Amino acid sequence: MTADTISAIIVSGVVLGSLYALMASGLSLVWTTLGIFNFAHGALMTLGAYLAWTMSDAAGLGLGLAAGIAVAVAVLIGVGIVMERSVVRPFYDHRDILLITVMTTLATMTLIEKGIQLVWGARLKQLAPIAPGKVEIFRTTISAQELLIVIVAPLLLGALWLFLRNTRIGRGIRAVGQNSAAARLIGIDVSRLFIVTFALSAVLAGLTGILLGSVRLLTPSFGTDPLVKALIIVIFGGLGSLSGTILAAYVMGIVEAALTYFVGIYWTPSIIFVLLIVVLLLRPQGLLGKVVR
Amino acid sequence: MFFLKLRTVAIPLLLVIGLLVPIFVQDTYIRHLFIIAFIYGIVASSWDLSLGYAGIFNFGHIAFFGIGVYAAGLCAKLLGIDPWIAMLIGGMAASAAAGLVALPVVRLQGVYVVLVTFAFSQLVLQVVISQSQITGGTLGMVRVPTIELFGYNFLRDYKLGYYYVAFALLVASAFCLRQLVRSDFGLSLKALRDNEDYAVSRGIPISTQRLKVLVASAFFAGIAGGFYVIYLRVASPEVFNFSTVSLVLSMVLVGGTASIYGPIFAALGLTFVLEGLANVNGLAEGRFMLVAIVMVLVLLFLPKGLASIFSRK
Amino acid sequence: MSTDANALSVTGLRAGYDASDVLTGIDLHVGAKERVGLFGPNGHGKTTLLNAISHVIWPRAGEIRFLGETLQGLSPQKIVERGLIHVAQANWLFPDMEIGETLELAAYTRHARGVLKDNLAYVMQLFPRLAERRRQQCKTLSGGERQMLSIGVGLMCAPRMLMLDEPTLGLSPKLKDELAEAIAEISARGIPLLLVEQDIVFTLSLVERMYLVDHGEVTREIHRGSEVDHQDIMDMYFGAEKTR
Repeated sequence: MTADTISAIIVSGVVLGSLYALMASGLSLVWTTLGIFNFAHGALMTLGAYLAWTMSDAAGLGLGLAAGIAVAVAVLIGVGIVMERSVVRPFYDHRDILLITVMTTLATMTLIEKGIQLVWGARLKQLAPIAPGKVEIFRTTISAQELLIVIVAPLLLGALWLFLRNTRIGRGIRAVGQNSAAARLIGIDVSRLFIVTFALSAVLAGLTGILLGSVRLLTPSFGTDPLVKALIIVIFGGLGSLSGTILAAYVMGIVEAALTYFVGIYWTPSIIFVLLIVVLLLRPQGLLGKVVR
Repeated sequence: MFFLKLRTVAIPLLLVIGLLVPIFVQDTYIRHLFIIAFIYGIVASSWDLSLGYAGIFNFGHIAFFGIGVYAAGLCAKLLGIDPWIAMLIGGMAASAAAGLVALPVVRLQGVYVVLVTFAFSQLVLQVVISQSQITGGTLGMVRVPTIELFGYNFLRDYKLGYYYVAFALLVASAFCLRQLVRSDFGLSLKALRDNEDYAVSRGIPISTQRLKVLVASAFFAGIAGGFYVIYLRVASPEVFNFSTVSLVLSMVLVGGTASIYGPIFAALGLTFVLEGLANVNGLAEGRFMLVAIVMVLVLLFLPKGLASIFSRK
Repeated sequence: MSTDANALSVTGLRAGYDASDVLTGIDLHVGAKERVGLFGPNGHGKTTLLNAISHVIWPRAGEIRFLGETLQGLSPQKIVERGLIHVAQANWLFPDMEIGETLELAAYTRHARGVLKDNLAYVMQLFPRLAERRRQQCKTLSGGERQMLSIGVGLMCAPRMLMLDEPTLGLSPKLKDELAEAIAEISARGIPLLLVEQDIVFTLSLVERMYLVDHGEVTREIHRGSEVDHQDIMDMYFGAEKTR
């Protein structure tokens, strides 16, 4: 194994890991705060990418990517709020909220995906890359857009971390996730923060979609694969914490890049699944996680 | 009491109606819809065995169906195994896969079960797509051999043979599932679902029972998958889609969880409604959005009848 | 009976969980600047009473007035905004948050944020141990430190009255003394107190008046220095049960 090989694996692993970290952190945020799993997260990603495409692409309104991002963020905030209100909130007091919201968010996923297919059609689309061209890092060539992803993902995650750590609302969100009863007793409006969390996660999904939409082709089911990867990451990372999830995302990216190099893309998913089963048999709470319900 | 009496009459009556349908329905397309609905009925009702009765958050059931599809299709097409036997192999392959998934699942709780079973179904999909030299990849598998008996091709006479095979499979699976949930085994499953600690303290082996129920419910899904591929003669990775999952899940929910007949009737109803809507202009895709909305509405407004059945006392 | 001069007055309060009422009609009041104790066997509704007052559970009947105004229909956070602060029993707070963060967060309402600096300085002075551990996570605290943090969090909410639920649960005598001192100091600032306790010595050392709660009702009211002394109360609860 040459240094070039190692460098190639690490570079493509970090590109993958950055995307996975963005996807998984939105899921993880909702899970740690609301205790539910949003299966529509991938569809929200797709929606963000399509909205950005319509606003920015010449075949759409051609208003530029900034307009695309702005509209996608605005719409996703709205969708996040509506989703929380309609398919999550009614079940907060239900004993089986977890199982029921798996079904309702799955239904929402179908609704959004089919809606996208209805509005935009099944034809493939692609967002124009923000950074065109190629760059070479450690003797490995990647597209400039991929480099952009590697830079933007940690920035977004860092911003999320600062928000959760230092702002009143961010700290409130963490408090609600750790002990909602105690949060209520210090005057936190728990249900309002649930909405904020859901909307925030939807925005993260949309931004991820916009980044990914310029390196992959857009289809209505564009979000499915990232969603599944994010599922596996949160299992590996354990569901307890955002930092565990982000770490697991980068580890997963590099493992996947290495496996792809050594065993090829055909067998990589199977090996990852076998690894997953082994991890779960040995540590049912995930590699880095703590026990959750 | 009245209800019980109605039921004892209703089941034989429905059997007779089911047998007589082909006399009144000669249209190939309508018969096709019946056959598809019967297949969905088997998948939905067997899913309810693990999801509703045993309370296992199993979201890999459609993958078991898909494994049945591909196992039977490959055996019949590539290995030249008699399609009748291939269907059975479909069921066994699904059961074997369920045994593998059960390995971690019986030890896990709550959301982890959901995640692992979901991840499993996506893995199966990826394997199918990646092994394209065998499975046909995203294009799918075509020209799967069809079933015959004494030289009679089941596609003849407006799919008459297939109608009766599908009906017989549905009746047989409904009968087996009913027997299963009424047996001691079925009662122990409900005990585990309703009060795990108590059931365990009474000596019910939780892991073994969960393993058994997953293997059993997957068997029916696998047989249904085997029949599906032999009947349609094509297999496509689309069977693993989230849309298929939502569709069958909506049948389980609309029909009522922890019920065998409910999902079967829901499968019949929804299949025909959806086909009807497909012909309405502009609803070809929109109808699946309607299914999704119906699912949420059922969970929202019929909690007593449907969602509340999940709640363990 | 209770007039608007009281900090808190509760009349005919019924509340409970599921189908049954745990509280079957509670009447009590806490005067302005008064320290009142609530004593009684476990499982007889003391914690339920505090939960009902802070609307963690909804009262089924009766009235709660705080500083002369009814609390009817207010959400828990509105009650916190009014300044009626409930410090829950054995509160683990937020395991993964730091002490300093937790205290700053506790000043969540608009009013509390306005006085954050003063209150934080006061809490740090009252519990120097929390000041030392500002950067530690809540889950690393000992039982005594956790109680201090819970009370500190209550103070950060800018309380106009505090309800403390078993602040000394599971603490050593030395720590109990320390906490008693701190609680007395808080009360000396004019904050009325409603103190739920199992430790009768601790309670009597702090309060001016005490209610005995039994089977969801107030069965007796005892004033400090009145004829009923410590031994009588012990007999009433523990002696009586032995002979039953």
